[in-house]
Amino acid sequence: MTRKPIPGAGLVKGLRLTLKTLFTKPLTIHYPLEKEVLVPRARGVIALDADACTVCMLCARDCPDWCIYIEGHKEMQPPATEGGRPRSRATLDRFDIDYALCMYCGICVEVCPFDALFWSPEHEYSEMNITSLLHDKERLGVWLETVPDPPALES
Amino acid sequence: MTTVDRHRLSMHHSEVQVSVELQTPDMTLNLGPQHPSTHGVLRLIARVDGEVIKEVEPVIGYMHRGYEKLAEVRTYAQITTLVNRIDWVSGFANEIPFMVATERLMGLEVPERAQYIRLILTEMARISSHLVFLSSFPLELGASTPLMHALRERERVLDLLEGVTGGRFHPNFNRVGGVKPAAGAGKSEKKVAQDLPKGFLDQTRQAMQHVRDVCDDLKDLVVGNEIFMERTKGIGIIPVDKALAFGVSGPNLRASGVAFDIRKTDDYLPYSNFEFDVATGQNGDCFDRYSVRLEEVYQSSRIIDQAVDSIPSGELQAKVPRIFKVPAGEIYVRAENPKGEMGYYIVSEGGRGPYRLKIRSASFSNLSVLPWLLKGQLIPDIIAILGSLDFVLGDVDR
Repeated sequence: MTRKPIPGAGLVKGLRLTLKTLFTKPLTIHYPLEKEVLVPRARGVIALDADACTVCMLCARDCPDWCIYIEGHKEMQPPATEGGRPRSRATLDRFDIDYALCMYCGICVEVCPFDALFWSPEHEYSEMNITSLLHDKERLGVWLETVPDPPALES
Repeated sequence: MTTVDRHRLSMHHSEVQVSVELQTPDMTLNLGPQHPSTHGVLRLIARVDGEVIKEVEPVIGYMHRGYEKLAEVRTYAQITTLVNRIDWVSGFANEIPFMVATERLMGLEVPERAQYIRLILTEMARISSHLVFLSSFPLELGASTPLMHALRERERVLDLLEGVTGGRFHPNFNRVGGVKPAAGAGKSEKKVAQDLPKGFLDQTRQAMQHVRDVCDDLKDLVVGNEIFMERTKGIGIIPVDKALAFGVSGPNLRASGVAFDIRKTDDYLPYSNFEFDVATGQNGDCFDRYSVRLEEVYQSSRIIDQAVDSIPSGELQAKVPRIFKVPAGEIYVRAENPKGEMGYYIVSEGGRGPYRLKIRSASFSNLSVLPWLLKGQLIPDIIAILGSLDFVLGDVDR
């Protein structure tokens, strides 16, 4: 490595690599035309199963940049059995995630004790207007279809 | 026309000898804050006399996000997401010292499998960080081919990282007591344990072979190239005493000939179970800093190969309650990051978050040598020296 190289040796080595690469298949994907298959764990967008949510606020409290907005109210349910006591049930009014603030850490998905939040690899939801990045309950529910099955595990 | 006149005409205008020494005033040259070779937003104010630099003042702080202060109002679980973003080229490696420090304060024993997963992914982060350096440094010197080749293989490594953690740059995979556990109540089939996905170990072996292949290519293309040697050999020499005085660490220190590697001296991850060599250079110039990192990629792939073969099965996490408090106390834990020594000094007062968090980042200390190092160098060598120190401005400013 310390000896003086032969002049032009670097050029020959470079051209050899060029020749090698010339006959290998390119790995690039022409993105808008071809879609890359993302791994199931990819953190693209958070999907909400609104029926499973019990308005416990754990996700909103543990979010490091507080980008989840939840509002709910108590609703009286008819008693389950005849003559029983009417039950109050928390109902979800508003569940917004501000993707302009979200840093995609996944803490909300992790802490949800009722399996209402999931990661989906879907990522094509860029907007021209920053306020449109606030996804409401309905929009978050749409992502639920795109949630993939988890990968098989290495024993 | 006399012979002298003909000779005069054939010379370039600037080569004509002037008998009088010209007095030129010093010029101030601004480099950055937006410059592709500064890896972020670093501004250099250089006072130059012709081509020679008389004085350089680095201006930092453009990337300051106040992570040390932010950490004071967040819980330990939330801070993981912040420390990811300190040095974004090797996000996973940043998490390790913070987690180890918290675990030592709590007196937790991390299961062996979790430690092995941490180790494999840390070395992957090191490889991806070094591949960025190995490819972008020649780019800064004017060679664009290595970039394409090295980033292609880096993508393989990042895909594997993403397959396990879900994130390419900000994995947020470590938890106090182990790695990310299963999420949710366990009722939904879509949430299961976050163990390694099937086929990860085989794909890792293949990827490591690809990484070694591309390093062989880089050896041919870059290290053996005359132009590269001319631009880097004997340029920006950091002698051992200066390196130690400025607190230079990591590959930059090893290039100066000090075989100091925290992976060998500390026991924050089970590195003692594996065989690997500490790559060192002799001269401490830009060329050595490049070769040391190239050798480190080989060594990292060697560690990963051994770890993949011997990874034990078992638990992923120690028993930690969902809401936990860390006992009062203070601790400093350091780790060998791709850029050098990264350490976290945590002061806990028994709360859910630290009372004070001090981040010792490698790039900041490595950058502090710049004013001394650049004095007396030529302007074209600024870029070579800047690039060879391999700092990330997010790591400098925090």
